[in-house]
Amino acid sequence: MHIPDGFIPLWQCAIYYVILIVALYFSLNWARKNLDEKMVPLMAVLAAGIFAIMSMNMPIPFGTSGHMVGGALVAIVFCAPEAAIIVFTLVLLVQGLFFGDGGITALGANVLNMGIIGGFTGLYVFKALRKPIGKYPAIAVASWLAIFLAAEAVAIEMWLAGTFPLIQGLAFMGLYHAFIGIIEAVLTVVVIMALEKLRPDLLAWNRKRKVEEIKPEAGEVVSK
Amino acid sequence: MNKKDKSFIIGGVIVCLVIAVLSPFLASSNPDGLEKSAENLAVPDNGLGYEPPFPDYTVGVFGDSPLAEIAGLAIGILIALGLGYAVAYLLKRRKTTESE
Repeated sequence: MHIPDGFIPLWQCAIYYVILIVALYFSLNWARKNLDEKMVPLMAVLAAGIFAIMSMNMPIPFGTSGHMVGGALVAIVFCAPEAAIIVFTLVLLVQGLFFGDGGITALGANVLNMGIIGGFTGLYVFKALRKPIGKYPAIAVASWLAIFLAAEAVAIEMWLAGTFPLIQGLAFMGLYHAFIGIIEAVLTVVVIMALEKLRPDLLAWNRKRKVEEIKPEAGEVVSK
Repeated sequence: MNKKDKSFIIGGVIVCLVIAVLSPFLASSNPDGLEKSAENLAVPDNGLGYEPPFPDYTVGVFGDSPLAEIAGLAIGILIALGLGYAVAYLLKRRKTTESE
């Protein structure tokens, strides 16, 4: 769903760049406060992984193809949409500059769709559904919805740009990405399950729990 | 960097490279959802005229062989890994003596 150069008029690209700069400002502040040394390898590997999955188009019905995005994955692993914004800015920059996938002028719009909309949708849908339906089903629904809404955001941007008519754009993008979303949901669950098994210390929710566990113990020592 | 992190990075890169190696065989050459929608709606494709060094994730010197795409993806994976590491390293929370 990378928007190429030429699909969005330049003045609208400028608006998306402003959104990108504001988002990066908040994300860099988040990183300075929350990103510790342990998370550096995780962010590097996720950037490489997101690059790999976004470059590989899986066949889906209707003679088209689509790739996973992973916005929900990054946001859920870090429990922060800011992490998704940083990772997607980097990866989309590499894809646009070196491989011609996604426009340079459309970078702001592409980060908005995959990083910002994907990251926020993924994390907050996951948080809302985690208790009622359980962790892994919540991850599946959140990642499906993240890619679906990102695709519909592309359709709306294409309509604003005068490139697609609104209804057909929403219909085509929605239909194709509803299928890609199934692949996205399965893979997001698999990756998080693997992380939970191999490196549970890297998942944000385990780290938070640990801090909470340590606190009462320290309190006990004091009271004794 | 401790041993655990090193093996995490090596493991992660291996998984990515496996995806890269399988990609020419698994990936679909059909247009993606956005391109297909643009095709359906007859949108002309006019770019900026910017020529990236590896268009369509292929390295020119390998011609049309699957190796061209594998090499392209491998280069991209390593660039993304290096850039991700460098940026995360520069952004990370400064260790203050009070927090220790």
